[in-house]
Amino acid sequence: MSDIYIYSERLDIAAELIGFARQNHKEPYVVTFSAVAAEELANLGANKVFYLKGESPLVENYAKQISKFLKEQAASHFMVGATARGRDLAARVAGYMDCGMASDLSGLTYVDDELICERIIYGGAVRQKEAFKDFCVVTVPGGLFEPVQGDCEIFTIDLKADERVVLVERTEIPSRGNDLPTASKVVCVGLGLAEEEDLSLVNGLVDVLEGEIACTRGIAEERHWLPVERYIGISGAVIKPELYIALGVSGQIQHVYGIRESKIIVAIDKNDKAPIFRYADYGIVGDMYEIIPLLTDLLN
Amino acid sequence: MARIVACYKWVIDESDIKVNPDLSINLQNSKGKISDYDKNAIEAAVNAAELLEGKPVGLTFGNSKCKASLKDALSRGLEEAYFINSEKADKADGRVTAAALATAIQEMGEVDLVVCAEGASDTYARQTAPRLGACLDLPVISSVNSFTIEGKTLTAIRKLDDCLETVKVELPAIIAVLPEINHPPIPGLKAVMNAGKKKMVEFAEADLKVDLNPKNQVLDLQAYVMERKNIVFADGELTEQVKNLVIALKKEGVI
Repeated sequence: MSDIYIYSERLDIAAELIGFARQNHKEPYVVTFSAVAAEELANLGANKVFYLKGESPLVENYAKQISKFLKEQAASHFMVGATARGRDLAARVAGYMDCGMASDLSGLTYVDDELICERIIYGGAVRQKEAFKDFCVVTVPGGLFEPVQGDCEIFTIDLKADERVVLVERTEIPSRGNDLPTASKVVCVGLGLAEEEDLSLVNGLVDVLEGEIACTRGIAEERHWLPVERYIGISGAVIKPELYIALGVSGQIQHVYGIRESKIIVAIDKNDKAPIFRYADYGIVGDMYEIIPLLTDLLN
Repeated sequence: MARIVACYKWVIDESDIKVNPDLSINLQNSKGKISDYDKNAIEAAVNAAELLEGKPVGLTFGNSKCKASLKDALSRGLEEAYFINSEKADKADGRVTAAALATAIQEMGEVDLVVCAEGASDTYARQTAPRLGACLDLPVISSVNSFTIEGKTLTAIRKLDDCLETVKVELPAIIAVLPEINHPPIPGLKAVMNAGKKKMVEFAEADLKVDLNPKNQVLDLQAYVMERKNIVFADGELTEQVKNLVIALKKEGVI
């Protein structure tokens, strides 16, 4: 029981999962749906790369066949990158395998031959540790493990897709203009912002910091003042900047989930009892409308 | 008549979670609520039912306390509510939840569309819809940002990490909707009053011939604590406080 099967369309996560397997003296095997990706994955230290070739452009449509493949291969675990597509595929495979699954892990280790998974629940309030004895599926975000190197062979396997869901059109979301996920400085506005026009004040601060603007779910979804890609939280963006400044953000637990890996958290809010101060390194209790110009001037 | 099932979860309100000094969790006095994102799923099911000229119904799996959720769910536009009553729901993993929901859906008879949220606000594991698809062998569309229905064809726009996808499927199918799909209104007084008169069906655990034992073994639950400095600059005028903040940030090397 030591063959780990790995899939992620994000090759950095696939590489890290191969690294995890190697570090734990397990045998990593990688599956991919792209011939180009297969070439790249073949240098990352796996035992074998399986290029799964089929007609459907939707990876999720192969879930049933992948579960058959994993059974035939006697895989011990299926580890998948925690992207939107990866999570979907992983849960379908777990469904067809009728096995356990742990999603979006914050930690993953082996103790003897049990897989110990750690994840955050209740919107960020609680850390749960769970163990799996048998075959299981996990989804893992990037950044947890170190990749390794080493060449291997590519095997091509024809796979039949479930074609009930048909792709009509795919449009890339331009990443230009939204560097939030990788920004080192992020300024976030919450419902303490009174008017949409006041965003210009916030943007002034963002500019001197050469950072990115972000917001809470309320600003994006209720008030529509910023696009949904800009909201931080468990159902939105999860970021890890060097500096995160919260302006008029109350600090609901679901929001805090998205900033917990920030190096330094600064809170500025009128209400000294706002939960955000509990999660902050530095804070000022006061009116953001007075503080932002002072801060912008000083930084200029 | 077409039947549209909204699956929802009755969760603990995370703001009621108390942390003991040893970082263990006290959930004793916590109140329940319909998972925030499931309100979007219910609203989406109600909208789909209008398009299909069908009946929107709710389905939940929970312990006996979850019964309190039925009226709330029915006040949100659903016409019937189905409830799988089992204490095993407390320890359910994704497999158990999907198996219980799937069995109840099969009991209901013909179903045209099942609507789930992308994830629940307590575990946010995002497994239910894809696993239900496997249990019922129905097609699934996840990460749905918007959808339309013409005849029996559902066309959805999915929002993934780096792209938008338009996909289509012939019903019956399962969709998992993103929170941004709609803005569920707060139910009015009349809707709340009417909710109690609507049909409620309860399945006992014994009615469903399904294994409700989880595959995972939960070892430990502990409060997630962030180690932070918690320094609030309160001395002097506001100008001084801001100055001190900038000095601190410079020392940290983040500006």
